[in-house]
Amino acid sequence: MGTADSFTSDMTVSRARFGVLADPALWGAMLAVVFALPIAALFALAASGDATYLDHVASTRLPEFARNSAALAVLAGLGAAIIGTTSAWLVTRFEFVGRKVLSWLLILPLAMPGYVAAYSWYALTSAGSRFEAVIGINFPTVTGLTGAAMVFAFTLYPYVYLLARNSFEAHGRLSWDVARSLGAGPWTAFARVSLPLTWPAIAAGTALVGMEVLADYGVADFLGVTTLTVGIVRAWSSFSDPAAAAQLAVMLLFAALLLLGAERGARGRRQFSVSGQTDIRPVRVELSGLPSFLALIVCILPVAVGLAIPTAQLIWLAIETQPARSILPAIQGTAFLAFWSGLLAIVLGLTAAYALRRRNRIGTAAVRMVQAGYAIPGAVAAIAILSALALLQSGLNQIGSGAIPLLTGGSILALLLAYQTRFAAVAILPCETGLMKVRGDLDEAARSLGARPREVVARVHVPLAASGIATAGVLVAIEVMKELPATMILRPFDLQTLAVTAHNYASDERLAQAALPALVLLAICMPATAALNLLGGKK
Amino acid sequence: MSQRFLLAAAILPTAILASCAPGSDETGGDTLIVYSSRHYDSDYALYEAFEKATGVNVEVVEADGDLLIERVKADGATNPPDVIVTVDAGRLWRADQEQLFAASQSDLLNDRIPESMRHPEGHWYGISSRARVLVYSKDRVAEGELAGYESLADPAFEGRVCARSSGNIYNISLLAALIDRWGEDTAQDWATKVAANFARAPQGGDSDQIRAVAAGECDVALVNHYYFARMARSEEDDVSGLAVFWPEDGPGVHVNISGAGVAKLARNPELALQFIEFAASDEGQRLFPELTNEYPAVTTVTYDNAVLDGLGTFKADPLSGTVMGGNQELAQRVFDRAGWP
Repeated sequence: MGTADSFTSDMTVSRARFGVLADPALWGAMLAVVFALPIAALFALAASGDATYLDHVASTRLPEFARNSAALAVLAGLGAAIIGTTSAWLVTRFEFVGRKVLSWLLILPLAMPGYVAAYSWYALTSAGSRFEAVIGINFPTVTGLTGAAMVFAFTLYPYVYLLARNSFEAHGRLSWDVARSLGAGPWTAFARVSLPLTWPAIAAGTALVGMEVLADYGVADFLGVTTLTVGIVRAWSSFSDPAAAAQLAVMLLFAALLLLGAERGARGRRQFSVSGQTDIRPVRVELSGLPSFLALIVCILPVAVGLAIPTAQLIWLAIETQPARSILPAIQGTAFLAFWSGLLAIVLGLTAAYALRRRNRIGTAAVRMVQAGYAIPGAVAAIAILSALALLQSGLNQIGSGAIPLLTGGSILALLLAYQTRFAAVAILPCETGLMKVRGDLDEAARSLGARPREVVARVHVPLAASGIATAGVLVAIEVMKELPATMILRPFDLQTLAVTAHNYASDERLAQAALPALVLLAICMPATAALNLLGGKK
Repeated sequence: MSQRFLLAAAILPTAILASCAPGSDETGGDTLIVYSSRHYDSDYALYEAFEKATGVNVEVVEADGDLLIERVKADGATNPPDVIVTVDAGRLWRADQEQLFAASQSDLLNDRIPESMRHPEGHWYGISSRARVLVYSKDRVAEGELAGYESLADPAFEGRVCARSSGNIYNISLLAALIDRWGEDTAQDWATKVAANFARAPQGGDSDQIRAVAAGECDVALVNHYYFARMARSEEDDVSGLAVFWPEDGPGVHVNISGAGVAKLARNPELALQFIEFAASDEGQRLFPELTNEYPAVTTVTYDNAVLDGLGTFKADPLSGTVMGGNQELAQRVFDRAGWP
């Protein structure tokens, strides 16, 4: 952990040199505290209720809820880790037909909202599906625990893929070459050298998948998996007890903190930084014949299952269906929210990564808390944000006698705040891993050459961690485009989004009408994922 | 260079789209703010017709029922809705418990809307309704096998029943009504036996239950009538081998209503009432059966929907929304104890 040590030792010096106001770590901690406010409100809400619902579920369904949540997170996480790591390894270490295109295509399923994939796969494989009738094969229905795990693994694996691919490329050449020159075969080199080196990236990606799965309601409810989140929504919808929902959500939050802890544990002492030779492109092993074909199949499969097949079905539905209303306002709304959220995420992610690097206890705690917010179901996050905003507003009203109505629910600002609270983990993890790659002695070197701290950030850190930082922005933008519950409850009157439009139709069981907005959503996410690909490839 | 170009190509369109911020349209005249948890074509048509008839600009906030209630609670004072529209008697009851509605008086509404479909003090008025029915396979279910909701618990239907999960509001409201009808113990016994009769674990929505009957996965499904009517009207689904059974046992078929009320904090209460009266007019009412296959609240209204008429007539349970709403929590408890996933 050489990196950490050099930073701990110069902590005080660095703060003095930055000046308090220009210190990114301080800003990071402050931003994290602001974005963690709704989580504090969640605790307050949880504490305000009694244990009536908890008593009831504890004696009836709670074990089942918890078991299903855990099983789903583990299965989906494992699936995503295997798919993401394998495909990342194949496209970075081997040359085969279609590799270049696939290395980009493999990111795209991230654009597919889980609930859309679930609706689509269920329609394709449930009893009496026209698809099965046409091709004459009966697939097992994509439903229940395994079905939901499949949907999540194939739509969320790009998190692992992206981070693992960046890492394979960054660590790659030297260690790999050394291993190979010492007589290790590609598999041994993978298992003994590349995999351990990439472990932190895989762990980070898998943690994101796990948290997203824990927070999901749409997929689990539709495919009939009674998870904790389903219990949370029932506490609210059937028991009219938001406080009970908050209590269960706090349990999820702790599960997420455990996951983050496990992720850090998995990273453990395996913290490697790059000393500057990242510009060496790895030489790929040429594959031909059957191995080349197999590699192609292994990389095509996730894209087909996670994206191509559901998309094809959507296109088929969209062609058959007359659009009911214009979706142009929804396109504008989606683009607007995604763009500004992406920018905000970069600021939050980068500054929070500094706060983590500084190892200040309060800063770290705030950052970890806001990261865990990713596992709070969107609907619960929305209530938490509403109550936090109500508090802030009453505070503001006392100061400014009601002159600042900006922070009430239903303003774009509230929505942007909500997104950062919800997706902070997605913003912070890539920045953190990006900044981790920059070794401490690079700072020292830059300073000894006369660079001021600000210049170290601007001219050393940011360029080296650029791909991680931009990845954070783009990932959050994609998440925001797909986000549903918080958008529904907090958005201003006339703000439409594609996800909301698609959901309105799908919730009314009109998948055909939902197809067009869902397709446009995919189309907008595509350039964003293309950008991710470039960021990953750029060194 | 080309990489930068591509990156710019990816980001620029978003930025340009983002810069034409989705602001409010220039509006002249009055604006009516409607908070609605319904998102159906009939409702969009209703807003448009109202705008055309009055020149009023209608702004709509859509959110699913419970979110909607929380939002009005949190945001009511700064961004008050004029009208609140929600699906399900239970939710109307809950919104009323939270004191979101104002009492309003309208002879026109009292005259047109049946008493069981409106709040006694005019807090809300029913605008449309849907019935919870049994859809069965004409081949595999013999005449006389079905008698009512209780048939689903009959051991003869073991492995033949499809229904969605217990968290669903339609199931909750039905069980809430059955608890009132039979008492808690009998209702729990019923739910336990129905769950034991499931052909498969609950999954999907009502349409998926109907498709499962059509595909032979189960013989009878518990669904809302309008999904069946919609499928019967569409070309994609073949439901010709299926039929609707009206569970008229006891007081009648369980019916769930959508309703609208003037919001307590409304800035425009007269306009809000005018809108609800418009929804109850012949012009407004016929939109619900024609575009959403729901039954209009006003029974005298004429409409054009042969499929809906073809389902036949039925005796509706006149149970009030208050009872259904009050029993919701108990219904979820009973479902949980009965092991209905």
